Amino acid sequence: MTRWLGLFTVMLVLGAVHAAAVSTAQTVVAGNLSSSPNTDASVVAAIPNGAAVTVIERQGGWYHVRTAAGQDGWLPMTSIRYNNSGSGPAAAPGTDWAGLFNSGRAGSDSTATTGVRGLNTGDIANATPDIKAVEGLDKSQAKPEQAKDYAAQIPLKSNDKIGYLPEVKP
Amino acid sequence: MKPRVAAVLAGLLLVGMPLTAPAEIQLGQLFNSIKQAFTPASQDDEIAIGRDAAATLLGASKPIDDPAVQDYVNKVGLWIALQSDRPDLPWHFAVVDSDDIDAFAAPGGFVFVTRGLLLHLHSEAELAGVLGHEISHVVLKHHLNALQKAARMDLASQAAKVGMQAKGYDSDMDAQLMDKVSNATRNLYSKGLDKDDELAADRMGVVLAARAGYDPYGLLAVLQTLEAVDPKSSSMQLLMATHPAPADRIAALSESMAAANFDRFGKQAEVQERFEGVVKGLIAAAKKAKAPAPATK
Repeated sequence: MTRWLGLFTVMLVLGAVHAAAVSTAQTVVAGNLSSSPNTDASVVAAIPNGAAVTVIERQGGWYHVRTAAGQDGWLPMTSIRYNNSGSGPAAAPGTDWAGLFNSGRAGSDSTATTGVRGLNTGDIANATPDIKAVEGLDKSQAKPEQAKDYAAQIPLKSNDKIGYLPEVKP
Repeated sequence: MKPRVAAVLAGLLLVGMPLTAPAEIQLGQLFNSIKQAFTPASQDDEIAIGRDAAATLLGASKPIDDPAVQDYVNKVGLWIALQSDRPDLPWHFAVVDSDDIDAFAAPGGFVFVTRGLLLHLHSEAELAGVLGHEISHVVLKHHLNALQKAARMDLASQAAKVGMQAKGYDSDMDAQLMDKVSNATRNLYSKGLDKDDELAADRMGVVLAARAGYDPYGLLAVLQTLEAVDPKSSSMQLLMATHPAPADRIAALSESMAAANFDRFGKQAEVQERFEGVVKGLIAAAKKAKAPAPATK
């Protein structure tokens, strides 16, 4: 019994570490921590390249972050890079959807129900066409009116005036 | 639908030519195909080619059996496609049964996202960025053009061969031809498009998401998520083999968005709740499908 409790505790701790790890990031340029997510905002603090931050939320092209020193503010999203993690940053603390499926791998032809289904270049290169699967897509196909109604529920407002982006060489 | 175009370009043997036909008929068919390979495909041809390419992709990874999730991606996907220059294509969207991270487009309006990628997303705005990218490949005819180019090269080399051995032309030629062109589909999707096509799809994808009312920074957020996944992990193998590195895409896309002052759309809809509801349903369904599993937790 105590052994199972011990294992349970280890799992809890590992889970907590994982959840915490997934939203940590590092700055990739030196810059200013802003008081709000816009370029006119006042500066909270200067922040060096390579500083560790915790990402709290995103709004448009900005991340709300907390520094190691506990300062809160906003950084342009491309000024940080998430720390490597198996599953990437979580949606919300403790949410690790991808982790739910990472229970061991299997090829795409595997019938195992507990394995992870892979899809690699070899699977594509050796694929046998499945016309029936294509025909089966029709049953989920949406009609324009359904798509528009679904967008209106949010509501999402379309704006066809937004022009295409220029190609800019970085 | 023109079966020969579909057969030759997408390379399925299902509607193939008889292997025992007289040589002169095969020659005629071959040159007819060359002509078609050099002529821009009609929309009907494109859809036929796309169905065959989609069949090849779904042969590698089937759509998941979850009508709620499939309905969801079709409604969201079509809403974004309606903002494009090709709203009238027969758009089909599907989540496919792989835990690896990738998404695909095929000519004529087919867009597939793996479950693995879906589970790495955090909002409908991020999904909109991914779908917008794939829709843009279709709108810009990236795969269609690449398949046609591959077919031209194969057909040209075959034609030279046929010209040299016109008398000794044997019935193996058609089978060889079909095989070669058939490989074009599989080659393309295992090797990927040109880097410039991917960057162009990123640029157009965020515009479609913005036009659809979403926060257009969703795609950049997805690319940052992918940047943090170990590029050597098996879940990233296909994506890394077929796309520029996430960091390169982030650099190029963010510059373009900044140049067009996309910050002004940063407060558009993120749509987190609806997305999370769908994903939670997907996870619950997957867990149920996996049962009975030994209770170890």
